[in-house]
Amino acid sequence: MSDPSPTLTPPARPALSVPDLLVAVGVLIVGALLLIGTLKIPFGINAFVGPRVFPMIVSVGTLALGALLLVATLRGHRAEPAAEEDSDPDAQPDLRQPGLILGGFLIGSLILVPLGFVVGTAVMYFSVGFAFGERRLPLLAGVALIVALITYVVFTRGLGLTLPPGILKGVL
Amino acid sequence: MDALTSLFAGFETALTPLNLLWALIGVTLGTLVGVLPGIGPALTVALLLPVTAKLPPVSAFIMFAGIYYGGMFGGSTTSILLNTPGESSSIITALEGNKMARRGRAAAALATAAIGSFVAGTIGTILLTFAAPAIAEIAVQIPPSAKFALIMLAFVTISATFGGSPLRGLISLFLGLAIGLIGTDLQSGQARFTLGYPELLDGIDFVTVVIGLFAIGETLFVASRLRKDKASVIKLEGNASMNREDWRRSWKPWLRGTALGFPFGAIPAGGAEIPTFLSYTLEKKLSKHPEEFGKGAIEGVAGPEAANNASAAGVLVPLLTLGLPTSATAAILLAAFQQYGLQPGPLLFVTSPELVWGLIASLYIGNVMLLALNLPLAPVWAKLLLIPRPFLYAGILVFSTVGVYSLNNSVFDLFLLAIFGVIGYGMRRFDFPVTPAIIGVILGPVAESQFRTAMQQSGGDMSVFVRQPLSAFILLIVVAALVVPQVLKARAARQGTVG
Repeated sequence: MSDPSPTLTPPARPALSVPDLLVAVGVLIVGALLLIGTLKIPFGINAFVGPRVFPMIVSVGTLALGALLLVATLRGHRAEPAAEEDSDPDAQPDLRQPGLILGGFLIGSLILVPLGFVVGTAVMYFSVGFAFGERRLPLLAGVALIVALITYVVFTRGLGLTLPPGILKGVL
Repeated sequence: MDALTSLFAGFETALTPLNLLWALIGVTLGTLVGVLPGIGPALTVALLLPVTAKLPPVSAFIMFAGIYYGGMFGGSTTSILLNTPGESSSIITALEGNKMARRGRAAAALATAAIGSFVAGTIGTILLTFAAPAIAEIAVQIPPSAKFALIMLAFVTISATFGGSPLRGLISLFLGLAIGLIGTDLQSGQARFTLGYPELLDGIDFVTVVIGLFAIGETLFVASRLRKDKASVIKLEGNASMNREDWRRSWKPWLRGTALGFPFGAIPAGGAEIPTFLSYTLEKKLSKHPEEFGKGAIEGVAGPEAANNASAAGVLVPLLTLGLPTSATAAILLAAFQQYGLQPGPLLFVTSPELVWGLIASLYIGNVMLLALNLPLAPVWAKLLLIPRPFLYAGILVFSTVGVYSLNNSVFDLFLLAIFGVIGYGMRRFDFPVTPAIIGVILGPVAESQFRTAMQQSGGDMSVFVRQPLSAFILLIVVAALVVPQVLKARAARQGTVG
């Protein structure tokens, strides 16, 4: 659902947009999965409306809306990417940058407990900064560590939350 | 006079030194986070939730009140100096205010926005003070079937009536409803859609969904299509201030904006967009300088900004009296109440008066604090806009991580956050609005429980929704809200092709 093929100049006769088609099919699949999940919920007892009724409404509704979206897409409707404030609507979408952020985020999440909050979030910070085009790497790494450290101290000491200390256990 | 007595009691709660401090921290943090580009009031409140985790409910809500109003104030600074509205209701402020700033009138634009927000916020809070208890008194008698109908009305108006495509809004809503289903069914104890993960038995925390869809989704989307040129922040010389002429041209738009904004916030009609646009059109029509509009007319900042803040106060009326959020921010406030085991609604005025009235009193206090914070300190907030984007977005991500991780101290939640981030990216790429999904997640379970209570009471008879007059009437509006715009659109299209 993240195929980025850009909609440059809309042609006179609307051509079928493959990414939009995939989204419509995706909604239908979600609806179908919800329906399968709904049928697995046991009937409740002693209730006029059991635990199945609402999920049934939601899954059938999702299927119906997915069908409508499919029809609209087949008739040539296509979605315009949102105009977010910091983004360039005319820029060529580049999926490497979000990939980089997600990768950094997942690595950071995995090492969050064993190596600690500070190291984990510093990795996340670094990957986002890098993906957004910062190339002064020592500076970025320094800021990443400082931000992670300050966040850790404020939230654990000041607000009493528990965050994993990891390798800094005993130091902080 | 009951409202006044209760309000004074509320001030007694809110004016203790400690609660004043929480209010001050709330407005400061709210402004601070709200000023950051890319973060609207809804995300501001969601991101700051962990900060209140260890507070008692009254202090937490006093702080929320400050964050809520502070986020709104902060947004106007970003709109004016950077031309980046944090949410759709600030578009007009950005449009007209940024032009003013470019003409060297940044100080006046910031001042009219801040003072207008103060005026609107205060009048709105006064209206809230008197309307809320009256509505709560009526609301106690509303049967579950009508409450269910009201939620349907909120669903339809928020997702289908406004915004680009009703179909896409409804799909977004259903996505939210589906997410809301995950977890143990409270009435029967059945696990639903947990895919065997014990972590999902408690359901997915709304904070994870909100931060994923809003903050992570936005980060991924912006990263995928980065703007190459540097955003131009307008320098602000000195404090935010207005001259005599500015005052003369601002005060009427403030009042008119307030009059438009409050009712639109109070009815379930999809937030602050409509009144800000209406206010802008109205001011343009009434102005003696219509030629200035689009080039930086002060009325075009004063009116919409007042409408925006008045609707923020209006939104609290259905939230506190019916438990019905009509904007994404209100939905997050509702969920925050639920985290404390409180259900906003008419009974809250009876069961937790010190909380409700402390909250309302702190809205007055927060407004005054915000005015004091924003006029002289405007240059300080403006400095925040100079944070380079790589550092800014990286910081938002780290803050999101703290917020989500600290809910359950679980890395599993961080994986969920990443999934919702990808979904949020897809929603932006394919033009699905995010707000209906948030409303669906938070109101879906409430809708289900009202529906089941209504059915229980009627002995399983579905016709209760048509026989109960209020329910039938509201459901009729729901159907009309779905059908009428479509008919009008089809008609306009036909006339368009004929004529």
